Amino acid sequence: MRLPLLALLASGPAHGYELKQALEKLLGAAYPQPNVGQIYVTLGRLEKSGLIEGEDVAQSTRPNKRIYRLTDAGREAVRAWFEEPTDEPRVRDEFFMKLAIAPQTGLADQIALINKQRRQYLNTMRELSRLAAAEDRDNRVAQLLIEGAMLHLQADLDWLERCQEELE
Amino acid sequence: MSLSEAPAGTGPTAPADAPPLVRAEGLVKTHHGEGAPARAVRGVDLTVSRGEFVAVTGPSGAGKSTLLHLLGGLQKPDAGSIWFDGTCLDSYGESQWAVLRRRRIGIVFQFFNLVSNLTVADNVELPALLAGSSPKGARADRAELLAELGLEGKERSMPGELSGGEQQRVALARALVNHPDLLLADEPAGSLDSRGTREVLRLLSRFHGRGQTIVMVTHDARMASAADRVISFFDGRIADDAALDADAPGLRRRGKGVSGVLELKD
Amino acid sequence: MRATLRWAHADLRAHRGEALFTVLATAGIIASLLLAGALFSYTADPWQRVFTQSEGAHVWIHTRDGAEPEELRDLEGVAGLSGPFRTARTTVELGGARASAELRATGPEPPEVGRPLVTDGRWQAAGAADEIVLEGSLARALWAEPGDTLTARGARGTEHTLRVVGVADTAEPRYTPGDTPGIGWLPDEALDRLQPDPERTGQTVGLRLADPDDTDFMVQRAVTALGADQVSEVTRWQQARADAEGEGRLLGLLLALFGLGALLAAALAVAGAISTRVHGHLRDISVLKAIGFTPAQVVRVFLVQHLGFAFLGAACGAAVTELLGARVPGRIGEAVDVWRQLPGHTWTVLATTAAAVLFIATATSLAAWRAGRVPPVPVARTAVPRGLGPLTLPERRALGRDAPPALVLGWRGAFPGRTRSLAAVGRLAVPLAMITAALGAWATVDRFHERPEEIGLPAALTVRDGSPDDSGSSGSPGSPGSAASGASEAERHAGTERLLAAHPDVTAVHPGTEVEALVPGQTATITLRGLGTDADPYPFALAEGRLPDGPDEAVAGQGLLDLLDVRVGDWVRMTVQGRPQILHITGRSIEPEDGGRVISTSLDNLDLGDGSGTTAPDLHHLVLRDGADAGEVGAELAASSGGRLEVREAVNPADGLAGVRGVIAGLIAVLALIGLTELSTVLGARVRDRGRDLLALKAIGLTPRQIAGVITVSTAFTALAAAVAGTVLGTAAGRWLIDAQGRSSGIGAGIAQSPPPGALLLVIAAAVVGAVAVSAVPAARASRRRIADTLSETL
Repeated sequence: MRLPLLALLASGPAHGYELKQALEKLLGAAYPQPNVGQIYVTLGRLEKSGLIEGEDVAQSTRPNKRIYRLTDAGREAVRAWFEEPTDEPRVRDEFFMKLAIAPQTGLADQIALINKQRRQYLNTMRELSRLAAAEDRDNRVAQLLIEGAMLHLQADLDWLERCQEELE
Repeated sequence: MSLSEAPAGTGPTAPADAPPLVRAEGLVKTHHGEGAPARAVRGVDLTVSRGEFVAVTGPSGAGKSTLLHLLGGLQKPDAGSIWFDGTCLDSYGESQWAVLRRRRIGIVFQFFNLVSNLTVADNVELPALLAGSSPKGARADRAELLAELGLEGKERSMPGELSGGEQQRVALARALVNHPDLLLADEPAGSLDSRGTREVLRLLSRFHGRGQTIVMVTHDARMASAADRVISFFDGRIADDAALDADAPGLRRRGKGVSGVLELKD
Repeated sequence: MRATLRWAHADLRAHRGEALFTVLATAGIIASLLLAGALFSYTADPWQRVFTQSEGAHVWIHTRDGAEPEELRDLEGVAGLSGPFRTARTTVELGGARASAELRATGPEPPEVGRPLVTDGRWQAAGAADEIVLEGSLARALWAEPGDTLTARGARGTEHTLRVVGVADTAEPRYTPGDTPGIGWLPDEALDRLQPDPERTGQTVGLRLADPDDTDFMVQRAVTALGADQVSEVTRWQQARADAEGEGRLLGLLLALFGLGALLAAALAVAGAISTRVHGHLRDISVLKAIGFTPAQVVRVFLVQHLGFAFLGAACGAAVTELLGARVPGRIGEAVDVWRQLPGHTWTVLATTAAAVLFIATATSLAAWRAGRVPPVPVARTAVPRGLGPLTLPERRALGRDAPPALVLGWRGAFPGRTRSLAAVGRLAVPLAMITAALGAWATVDRFHERPEEIGLPAALTVRDGSPDDSGSSGSPGSPGSAASGASEAERHAGTERLLAAHPDVTAVHPGTEVEALVPGQTATITLRGLGTDADPYPFALAEGRLPDGPDEAVAGQGLLDLLDVRVGDWVRMTVQGRPQILHITGRSIEPEDGGRVISTSLDNLDLGDGSGTTAPDLHHLVLRDGADAGEVGAELAASSGGRLEVREAVNPADGLAGVRGVIAGLIAVLALIGLTELSTVLGARVRDRGRDLLALKAIGLTPRQIAGVITVSTAFTALAAAVAGTVLGTAAGRWLIDAQGRSSGIGAGIAQSPPPGALLLVIAAAVVGAVAVSAVPAARASRRRIADTLSETL
């Protein structure tokens, strides 16, 4: 969450609640409801690191708002974040562990494991399809997110097929 | 009967005591090509009830297409029997299968669905004429279907002038013009881009919602997940036959919004 | 049914060009076959032609003067009357040659029925009192030409001169010395002058019947009507035809064989076209079957379509030939005109058309049945089936050395699968083989004309002592009698030989004799000939074995060998004039006369028992200088001998084949058409093959012109293979056919002549050039086609 918040501040100063709203608008229903508390905690940490600086603004009827702004170090950190390629998601090693160890334990059948995992993935895929249908068609970002998940799932399912071929 | 009526008693969950639409027992088919013979289908038992949407997945070369061809009478099994709506089809010759395909089974392939020298309209009307409809009736059915599939205005085009997705939609129209009991689809979106795949999927779901029984071979997980039942086919045999239901208990439930989709590091 | 029609209709619309081409090709083939048939009947049956063209009379009745033949006109069943003419029998003489003739008085106009067809010169002019037109066979016997003057012996031995102004053909029996008189037509006044005595003249009338099959009955009625005592002679058309028959037999059989072969080649070509079309339709047929067409329906569609084309094409071809055939200039138009008037013409046309359609229908059924067996699973069809293998070393090397890629790829493309390429080459080789065989026939006919010594006719003229009609002195060998008369005979013969040899155009004089011999157990007679002497042997045309050497050795013709069921090396025994003769057959010669039933030996070897130990010759064969005109020389010799010698031209069996060159040319045209059809089928298949590879070829870096070159070269290579195979096969087959024909007609095998190598090379070159020409435009068009963007198109 750190760097996305930093990046959002690059377009201009904002306070915590505005940042929450911006995240929601951006990611839509694919992103779980942002936890306000979490945001404030993260903002505090960022300020301590010196990447942002905050400023209290007095309000008449409500408690003070703290408006945050990027520092030069912060801007540098955002730029570096964009420049650096991100790591790819790792293979789900927990399932692979199960698969590899099962024959030795004698407690589980490899093929049955694979079948169960496949059913899980298919059901997840079904849910994702429903989500995509429910989500606003024009929210391209949300749609892209969902499609990305689906493609990953497809890759996982293909890998399961390979496992079944090799291990049978 | 127009397509908007759903036949009574069918739907995504057919009553358990209705006889199955398709029943296959012990199907075996071996291909004799160059080199060693390949056992494409080895002892497959399959039952499909009315209104079910069954997807068959598996690696390529596993024999999924052959299974579909056997169900549609395009190839004859070396051993085993097939019952269609209670009738045993073992003694059926090529002509009888052809007659069955006219009225009761519609088939969509990955390629080569359309007769290349007929217009779109002729392609869709041909099965209707074959089944004995009058030209007027055939034309009416065709118009309705093409409208449903979003292809008005393309009646006079030749298949060569259409995009891949449009061709598959025309193929679907052709397969459904006679309101067949069973629709067999072999990789219907196999040669399409993601948009084309979405279109085909949407149409299949729509017809399924109206009670159409569909057996589909696919390697696309998204298409498979749209089905009620997914059969995993490995090496000529059925490895798994799973009914998909996201509301079934026992599945790991995640938070709403599929929070597992995007996990932002802290 | 409706669905079938819908698909058939749409398919027709989509392939309009192909359909049109098929129909036109069928029409062309049918028209060519019919024209060839017309030419065939024109040349193979000259009597029929003359009869039809001259409106011949079926019955000729010769009566005495007192009869009233005019009343025969009203007889039922008589469609027309020729004459009646006043006639006188007399002897005519020209330059030493003498013949008996029946002279008819006709008016200045030739008669309508039984009209003589003037082949040389003209008919009598009105008012000319001394002009005469001779019938063809009479003119040949007299060596007469228009402009000659002949003398006719009239009443009480007077002699009248008549000027020959024309020669004409009729359908009446020919002139035979000693048997049938010749015919001459002259004006009334001339006949009156010649034979004023009515007692000595007769009448001749010709009857044209409505129903030729009724001849016997009509003859009875006519004779009854005229009175049997008035009728002196009746001749029928069947006699005249039998008389003229035999000329066209060799030709007729050959042409019939060729006709059948052409039919077969045409059927093959159409079958090839249809099966290629089915091949191109395979994907669509699969889809149709998946939709729900039964195999029977698929078969029916193809069958109906192509049968429809065949019928349409055949009907068009037949109609065009019937309506416009007579307008074709030259012999062909004439032949069609005559043919149309022949009896049984409609039936022939219908039979030919039906036979062709039947052949095509059979081929179509086969292809349609194959179409019905296509599996209903639409599979991606690879362009080239397995079996070609990787590039061979020579091919690789050629490419490495900068050989044009079009050449190498075209070479590979010319022979795709084993069965497919064999079928294509085979189908194309058939018409080419037949063309070669036809050229072989042409060469054989040429050989007959130009080198007759190779086929047993070294001598162009035969000289006998005594005039044509002098009785008693023709054909009898050395008159039985005393040695004294024998000696004077020998002197006479020596004198004759000197006379003959004195002529500048005569290069050799061979004495000889001919007798009829009876063979044991056979009721047939054979001809025993003694020709040449041991010192100056006769140039027999030897096909097998060796020339006769010692006594009792002889060579025989094939007809004799067949008749007696003997072979070269056997001994035969025969009875000559009551005495036995035994001869050893040492060789087989080519004998064009007497059905080959001839056995020949040297004159010195022949002992006919007249006591002198040798036989005196009673005829002489004259070998002429190259280029000498036999007619002229014969006339000169006849004149110079003062009527003592009868000079006759040797009959070349190829004379009756006068029109064969035209027929052969026509046949070659038909076969070329068939070959073109087959070529375009092959081309279509190649274009389709390369069309699939279009993307790959462009990716390699071939320009559109090179791609077009690949298609053209592959077609050309196929044509080359077919041409080589075809010429080899055709030469062998042609020789075999012609020799078989020679053997069966008694002339003997060995007459066949292969076409000259230049002609064969021409055929091969023409085939290749034709292939290139036919493929130029379609190949260019195929290489520039827009590349498909959907996978289904390129598969």
